[in-house]
Amino acid sequence: MKILVCIKQVPDMESKFKLNGEGNWYDGTDLAWRMNEYDEYAVEQAVQLKDQLGDADLTVLSIGPERVKEMMKKALAMGCDRGAHIADDDFFKKDPFEIASVVAEFAKDKGFDLIFTGMQSQDRGSGQVGVLVAEMLGLPSITTIVDFAFDNGQITAKRELEGGMKAIVKTRTPALMTCQLGLNTPRYPTLPNIMKAKKKELLSIPVSELLKVEAKQETAKMYFPEKKGGGLVLEGSVGDLVDQLIKILKDKTAVLA
Amino acid sequence: MEFTREIYWNVGDGIGTLLPMYLLTFVSIAILVVIFMKRIKIYRQGQALDRLDHLPERILDMVKNVLLQSKVLRRAKGPGWAHGAFFWGFFLLFIGTCLIVVQADFTDPLFDVKFLKGNFYLLFSVVLDVAGLVAIVMLGGLFVRRYFVRPKGLETIKDDAIMHGLLFAILISGFVIEGARMAVTEMGTYLAYWSPVGLVFAKGMAGLGDESLRSVHQLTWWFHLLLVMAFIILIPYTKFRHIFTTSLNYLFADRGPTGKLVSLDMDDEEAESFGAAAITDMTWKDIFDADACTQCKRCQDRCPAYSTDKPLSPMKIVNQIGEVAFDKPQANLIETCSKDALWACTTCFACQEICPASIEHVQKIIDMRRNMVLMEGEFPGEEVMTAMEQTEVNGNPLGLGYASRGDWAEDVGVKPLSEDADVDILYFVGCYASFDKRNIKIARSFVTLCQAAGIKVGILGKEEKCCGEPMRKMGNEYLYQSLALENIELIKGYNVKKVVTTCPHCFNTLAKDYRDLGFEIEVENYTVFLEQLLNTGKLKLNSGELACTYHDSCYLGRHNNIYDAPRALIKAAGGQIVEMDKHRAEAFCCSAGGGRIMAEEKLGERINIKRVGMAVETGAPTLLSNCPFCLTMFEDGIKGANVEDKLNVKDIAEVLAERLA
Repeated sequence: MKILVCIKQVPDMESKFKLNGEGNWYDGTDLAWRMNEYDEYAVEQAVQLKDQLGDADLTVLSIGPERVKEMMKKALAMGCDRGAHIADDDFFKKDPFEIASVVAEFAKDKGFDLIFTGMQSQDRGSGQVGVLVAEMLGLPSITTIVDFAFDNGQITAKRELEGGMKAIVKTRTPALMTCQLGLNTPRYPTLPNIMKAKKKELLSIPVSELLKVEAKQETAKMYFPEKKGGGLVLEGSVGDLVDQLIKILKDKTAVLA
Repeated sequence: MEFTREIYWNVGDGIGTLLPMYLLTFVSIAILVVIFMKRIKIYRQGQALDRLDHLPERILDMVKNVLLQSKVLRRAKGPGWAHGAFFWGFFLLFIGTCLIVVQADFTDPLFDVKFLKGNFYLLFSVVLDVAGLVAIVMLGGLFVRRYFVRPKGLETIKDDAIMHGLLFAILISGFVIEGARMAVTEMGTYLAYWSPVGLVFAKGMAGLGDESLRSVHQLTWWFHLLLVMAFIILIPYTKFRHIFTTSLNYLFADRGPTGKLVSLDMDDEEAESFGAAAITDMTWKDIFDADACTQCKRCQDRCPAYSTDKPLSPMKIVNQIGEVAFDKPQANLIETCSKDALWACTTCFACQEICPASIEHVQKIIDMRRNMVLMEGEFPGEEVMTAMEQTEVNGNPLGLGYASRGDWAEDVGVKPLSEDADVDILYFVGCYASFDKRNIKIARSFVTLCQAAGIKVGILGKEEKCCGEPMRKMGNEYLYQSLALENIELIKGYNVKKVVTTCPHCFNTLAKDYRDLGFEIEVENYTVFLEQLLNTGKLKLNSGELACTYHDSCYLGRHNNIYDAPRALIKAAGGQIVEMDKHRAEAFCCSAGGGRIMAEEKLGERINIKRVGMAVETGAPTLLSNCPFCLTMFEDGIKGANVEDKLNVKDIAEVLAERLA
């Protein structure tokens, strides 16, 4: 069984964000980078499936500059077999359609039985890439899965819906899954696997070889939300807090009037 | 008439006595040697480890610890002194017996030299007599303790009964022999008064008549001999073995630096296994330690995890390693010791510090943790795994953006070395004092103090990373070494003369653990650094009244023996310290060591609440600490114990900064 896992490197959300010069993306300085949270679930699910089947070949793919290889090594250490790094310093200027096309172009003749992606990225959050890839490859896709079972080509996935509802969806391979929080707990790579990962295949392919379409949308502007009022943190002992709260409620609201 | 006695009186010194006696002795010693050789094979299942460096010092330490019973008596109560006195008594009897052998079977028959005579004989006689009495009384005391008023946690096995019984029998039968001989040969002589205990026995038996006394004497003599042979044979089979193993453990003891862990070789591409899961992953010394343990439970009594009902006893860990080595070498060590027990350790070092047998508990626990983390990717909880991942990404276990690490210093006139490297000291701030709102006050106070003393301080700012200590103690040697190597390369690049830390964990790690990775720059703890500034008159403090108690953190105290500098600082600031019952080397952990700062405490009573309770008992309104982890735990513990109205906690640096003159 051949499995593809698509992952993205994103800034840690605790980072100090600044806008870039053009005002259409964030600036790269002072950021700590990590694997997109939902993509970690994708990697973990793929590795668990490999553990279940015993025989599977896992390719992990990521688009971005040289630094994404560091994150890809983590995916390799978690259990992926080979890495495909699509080298692209301008990845953030590409729209989801272009990104999906690149992935589809890479995957089209490789016969992947299953593709796992995160349900969205933590930075752009378009949530489009996974489903677009499925569409381009003509595969069924199940989005926001929180449970996954595989038995002899039959996939049974649980999806999370709005309002606390869940749905069970079945399909057969080949197919594409986008993974949601709750699907699994990503493993911590063991040291022998970290060592082995250093020797695994990690090929770099220039994005120009795979990009054959044009963008369908562009990010016109990026900006911080305007500061409006903001929260108020009260400090002090419990008695103090109560007094402060009552004063605020009296002064600024009508609830105690 | 010259004072002496006839050796082999009534049993004869002919071949009929000597041949069976020496044959039995030879056989007994041969059995002892053979059985110990078998045990050596068991020890050798473990990995190699050189513990014979500095041999002359090692031998001296061993002799001192054995003969003076130094470690047994350290902070000892009744049982320690009973053991010491028993040992000295029994040891003198052993020496006395040897002197008899030397004279009766060597110097006298070969050279006609007798030295057990005259005044020396009187001394010999009275010393052995009293030694025997002391040994019996002490043994009696230990017997009562073990079998009638047994303290909690004192494990009593078959060995203990055998040992008590045999020792009593040997000592009493010795006096019976002496008494019978004296009843026949010494009654009414001046000499008899030099064997006061023997005389009591003699008087008790005097009515039996010569003939019976001689029979009793002869029978008891042979019985006594057989008992001693049994003793020799039983040494390797019972806890008697500690006579040899514990003594040798002083020879093989870890010579420090205190608490420094063994570094794993991360560049070894051949290595397939890390840490310890099988007995063969441990060193021979780890197995030998199990044989040196006498189950005195002093470690267990001091273990903060054990005393808050967690499943850890350092003594049991050591014993379980022994069980695996001797009885089930295929067993998994981690399963045998239980994961919960291994994760519960705070590496507070109280066990190892007190151990009268020089056993090394902490490294064993870390070795097993290393296996769980590096080989299985396992942690005590998801929160710990998250903290590890946070540290990989942002260089701190709190998960805060690395770029804001130096923000606390922006308005206090301290720059990162990347902007100005011409400084007197590099202040290695550590994660908590950099990011945690409460602990930032420590950093700011320390800088204020340095500035008042005219010291120019620099920091690494956003370039600094966690020193790696909590990760290392949790078993993540790989992450620790990556962090350490980055910090080392960074600091070395800045021509730093001295590093000062306000966190004892950073201090211990930079000053000891980093040495293995090529870091040689001087590192000082802030209490020592500030005390020097105080002594040289650069730092001037007001000494207004300050009633307080002081908590010795594990990593400043037991790990680094820094007890006096912090107290001197507190006193200079007017502090009157009311000591807690457990202070200095006996201090009780705050719960945050051993990487437990990253973990939730889910089992048993909360350690920090227990420690806060001890501080409240002193009646002092302020608890002073020297460690960001301790401060965090006590802030939490004070709330948890609902004693906000009775106690507040501050770091020494905060109090000093408030009292700058």
